[in-house]
Amino acid sequence: MLGSQLGNVVFVIWRESVEALLIIGILNAWLRHNDVGGRGRLFLWSGVGAGLLVAVAFGTVVVLFSEAIPESGQQAYQAIAVLIAAALIIQMVVWMRRHGRTLKRELETALGQASADANWWGVFTLAAIAVAREGAETVVFLFGTLAAIKASSFLAPLIAVLTGFLLALATYAALQLGSRIVTWRVFFGVTEAMLLLLAASLLMTGVDTLADLGILPATRRVWDISAILSDSGAVGGLVGSLTGYRARPDAVQITTYLLYWGIVCWLLRKTRSARP
Amino acid sequence: MTTSHPLRAAPLSSAAALRRRGLVFAMALVPVLAGPVLADEEPVFRIEFKDGVVTPRRLDVPARRRFSLELHNLGETPAEFESRELRKEKVLAPGTSSVLVIRTLEPGEYDFFDDFHPDAPSAVLVAKE
Repeated sequence: MLGSQLGNVVFVIWRESVEALLIIGILNAWLRHNDVGGRGRLFLWSGVGAGLLVAVAFGTVVVLFSEAIPESGQQAYQAIAVLIAAALIIQMVVWMRRHGRTLKRELETALGQASADANWWGVFTLAAIAVAREGAETVVFLFGTLAAIKASSFLAPLIAVLTGFLLALATYAALQLGSRIVTWRVFFGVTEAMLLLLAASLLMTGVDTLADLGILPATRRVWDISAILSDSGAVGGLVGSLTGYRARPDAVQITTYLLYWGIVCWLLRKTRSARP
Repeated sequence: MTTSHPLRAAPLSSAAALRRRGLVFAMALVPVLAGPVLADEEPVFRIEFKDGVVTPRRLDVPARRRFSLELHNLGETPAEFESRELRKEKVLAPGTSSVLVIRTLEPGEYDFFDDFHPDAPSAVLVAKE
């Protein structure tokens, strides 16, 4: 494989993992910080496991039977999954703000435990969706990359794949380290913003898919700032998938984005007093 | 840069006059390639991915018309058709093909690229009346 292709392999594997890793890493850091006896983390990592199973299953189907599932069916599932994930992230951010300081005490009551359990199921579902979503693409990418390895040059692509995964692990480790190095207030503030940007991106993907299915109208572009930052290609695509950025948005996308932040700011203001 | 063209037999009904104009225009520019012929009314355009090379890099399509994109991965490495503006993404394992249906496009340019080869040059779909 060419050098640039090896670079692609590393970048694509890291990129496909990073969205899920951010969600899981932030949730794990929060759960660890609040020392809630491991139950929340059990749900989190079970969700990751469930997501991996779904990703492998779905990825295998794509590789073996590329046209088995009709496109609109796939899109409908995707729209539902990303919208649920976006809603769960928002719910979780609000919940973490409200329960941060008081969680340990609350868990000593049955009611507190029940309410926490409901949230842990949300954690499970969010982790599962986040992993399944990008995991399926990663599985197909892996299958294809490893299948393309020729006997004479198997080492380089294998190292590229491993490097991609190592970089992903490093990103996760950096998050955990960050939660220990900076003050919790700073860490929580930054990661909360990251989660909300991710939720915005998921919401935009959901809206785009609904527009493509004809459920939402597809309208004209309002502006074009692709000269500043295109949403195609490596950098722009990454920014787009982590924040919901669109270089040539239409009215529906702009409205969605503004409404989203309006609602989120209102929700956060309501829970400001409980912030850890 | 080469331009692709709709792969189908010449329309016969008078209702297809608009489509015929586009077809004649396209066929006047490029030699006819052998390919699948669809019995229904949608034009079909072929896009090939080969280890990061997207062919064609500029594709002229009709605006405000329904059409299909036939995606073929002729390479040894996986490809992913990705376009934010078309709101479509499709993973293609090596040696596989897939079809995407585009319901309608306003006139304009729509970028697309192979997301599994992000450093490769992107391509553009140009929708014209």
